[in-house]
Amino acid sequence: MKSLFAIFFMLLSSAIFAKESAEEIFAQLTPSLYQIKLIDKASGEKSSIGSAFQISADGIIATNYHVISSYARHPEKYRIEYLDHLGNTAQVSLVSVDVINDLALVKRQVSKDMPFFSLSDKKPSKGEQLFALGNPHDLGMIVVPGTYNGLKKESFNERIHFTGSINSGMSGGPVVNKLEQVVGINVATSGNQIGFLVPHEKLVNLFDSYLASPPADIKQQMAAQLLANQEKLMSALINSTWQSKELAGNAMFPLIDVPFIRCWGDSNADKTDALILAAVASCSLDENTYISSHFFTGSVEIEFRYMQAKDLSDNKFYHLYQQQISRAGAGNRAGKDDVSEYQCHHDLVMPESTANTSQEINNKSVFCTRAYKDFPQLFDVLYLGASIDKDQQALVSHFTLAGVSQENAMTFTGKFIEAVSWK
Amino acid sequence: MEVTNKIPEPEAFELSAEQVPSTRFTDHNEIIIEEVTRNHKLLHRHRLKQNNVSIGRDYNNDIILTDPHICPQHLSLNYVQGAWQLADNNSVNGTTLESENTKQSLSEQRTVNDGDVIVLGKSQLRILFSDHKVAETVAFSPFESLIDIVRNPIAVFISIALFMLIAANISYLNQQTAINISQIFVSAFSMSLLFALWPAGVALVSHLTKHDPRILAQLGISFSFFILMWLSDLLEKVISFNSASNSMLGIVITLLPIALAFSLFWLNSYIGFHMPAKRRLFIAFAITSLLFGGSYLLQYSKKPEFNPHPSYNSTIMAPPFLLAPSSNVDEFVEQSNKLFDKASKAAQAD
Repeated sequence: MKSLFAIFFMLLSSAIFAKESAEEIFAQLTPSLYQIKLIDKASGEKSSIGSAFQISADGIIATNYHVISSYARHPEKYRIEYLDHLGNTAQVSLVSVDVINDLALVKRQVSKDMPFFSLSDKKPSKGEQLFALGNPHDLGMIVVPGTYNGLKKESFNERIHFTGSINSGMSGGPVVNKLEQVVGINVATSGNQIGFLVPHEKLVNLFDSYLASPPADIKQQMAAQLLANQEKLMSALINSTWQSKELAGNAMFPLIDVPFIRCWGDSNADKTDALILAAVASCSLDENTYISSHFFTGSVEIEFRYMQAKDLSDNKFYHLYQQQISRAGAGNRAGKDDVSEYQCHHDLVMPESTANTSQEINNKSVFCTRAYKDFPQLFDVLYLGASIDKDQQALVSHFTLAGVSQENAMTFTGKFIEAVSWK
Repeated sequence: MEVTNKIPEPEAFELSAEQVPSTRFTDHNEIIIEEVTRNHKLLHRHRLKQNNVSIGRDYNNDIILTDPHICPQHLSLNYVQGAWQLADNNSVNGTTLESENTKQSLSEQRTVNDGDVIVLGKSQLRILFSDHKVAETVAFSPFESLIDIVRNPIAVFISIALFMLIAANISYLNQQTAINISQIFVSAFSMSLLFALWPAGVALVSHLTKHDPRILAQLGISFSFFILMWLSDLLEKVISFNSASNSMLGIVITLLPIALAFSLFWLNSYIGFHMPAKRRLFIAFAITSLLFGGSYLLQYSKKPEFNPHPSYNSTIMAPPFLLAPSSNVDEFVEQSNKLFDKASKAAQAD
């Protein structure tokens, strides 16, 4: 009874301790916390908001790229303002961005050295308590306690998995440990206490490279980052092992063996009235790069569809099959101001690697590409291969890549076509 | 539809029964009076051999007209000194004599010439003499024998049946779920009815304009062409399936349906209406350009300013239709590489 009482008391005291430290942390850090507002110049009203925090005595403030993305895309239309804890407002200038890791640095005018957040020099340990700061839904600055749960599994660009409520408006706010050091930046949520943070090393890198040489032009900086990121992603995809896998016992497709590409399967075997039996394997990269609210890039989608006619004439099977392949679309969202229209080429293609073997496949192949208007060496590409050599069976192989270079796109395409065959 | 201002010449075969050229002698005492409509279509023809001809609503006239605007004793034609004289008998609404280029109301006696038109009340009479020049005989064109084949009831039946089979096949191919025979039959039947509206409409118009409707010939020729158009569609599909994007043949083949439509409209008008060759060409051209130009305009107006989706040729057909050899992957990649330049130029253009 005595020991039970002691445990209860300990629990109570630790809860009190956590509450106090959250309060303390908030009180000490609040002068370096800001709300960032994007003001539409024409209407004079804010068009988007986010959180931010100061990371140097001379007024460098860190936030998310997506908070200020409209300004980065159209600097003539907006201005960026901060709102501090005393209610002061002033304009800031955008000095550097990391579009891949969703980070941005803005600079405010300071008259004297100011307090700022120090960036942690080590990673938190799993289970460590962290505190997320920010201004959700413009309701005022809050502090949210939560738990560090390591890096998001199988991610290409690392994100911290944070168990705690992160809401919109908190984007760009810092996440600190008990030593009040920044270990991450709020960036996204998938609801129900699942939040994602940008690891603090990314911010350290961005800040260091800014100090070494500030970028001359934000658009060129973004273009270089996007180009470097696709190079990293595509070389990982092209150079990893492509496992040959069986689809529905009749076709072979390549499974790219990298942890960040995840695959799902489906079939209509349960639908007895379907005219065509279909089995689908689709793989994709779970993440993409936000450029603006209507323009995403960096996505990868791969899909294989095997079809088998059930009591159909060959002509009808091919007629329905054609309807299946006539509406392939882009894998990423992009608008008129961001990309050109698609240019397409189609031909009959027989990969040489399988020619004159039992695996031989003959495809009608379609390749389409569109160019980015602001980032000259980047393209979205789309490939669609439809087998045309079996009377009652079909194999559709399809992929889309967003924001890749011509060379990478074509190397991937060539390798992809050669890797698909009949069994 | 034919609208003419000139008075058509009487057709050769209508006179041929009475004409015996070698023994005929010219005597203007013989007069031919034609009752014509305002559009100069022939209603009745009277051939009289007497010196005095009376015209009016009374039953004692030589030519009795029922038009209520004509007087009982409206006018008389008299053969005097080798010429026909027209005299109006103080009629209420008067009489007008239209010569080749003059038009005047009649106040006194006038000489009537060959080809003149007398307007009385709301009726018109054309005066001809037996030596009136008739038009050259129109020779049968080579199309006549083609039309003779297609207007044969068996040929019409076969072409409609074939069309229905094609329509049934199309609806069978488009059915997404389990096959339903009665649905296929109904849709094939309604499709044929819908397509029969065109020849029926043309026949109706030619009937209304006092031409021979020739409904069987219209049906036969129209359905034969509908089948030809479907064949050209199939040919276009086979070609686009077998050729790569940069093939010229694909562009040429899209002109085929336009040529077929033009031929169909030309034949429709050849069967249904008598008209000069130039006008027939013009009408066929006008309907064709209205049809294709209109549908192109419709497509063009629906085209969005920016298309975020790729538009590509997805034609695939069952293996028996595969005729062309395949490229290898390197060739395909090389051709696709050319798109990047085009896309970059398009991106920089605006």
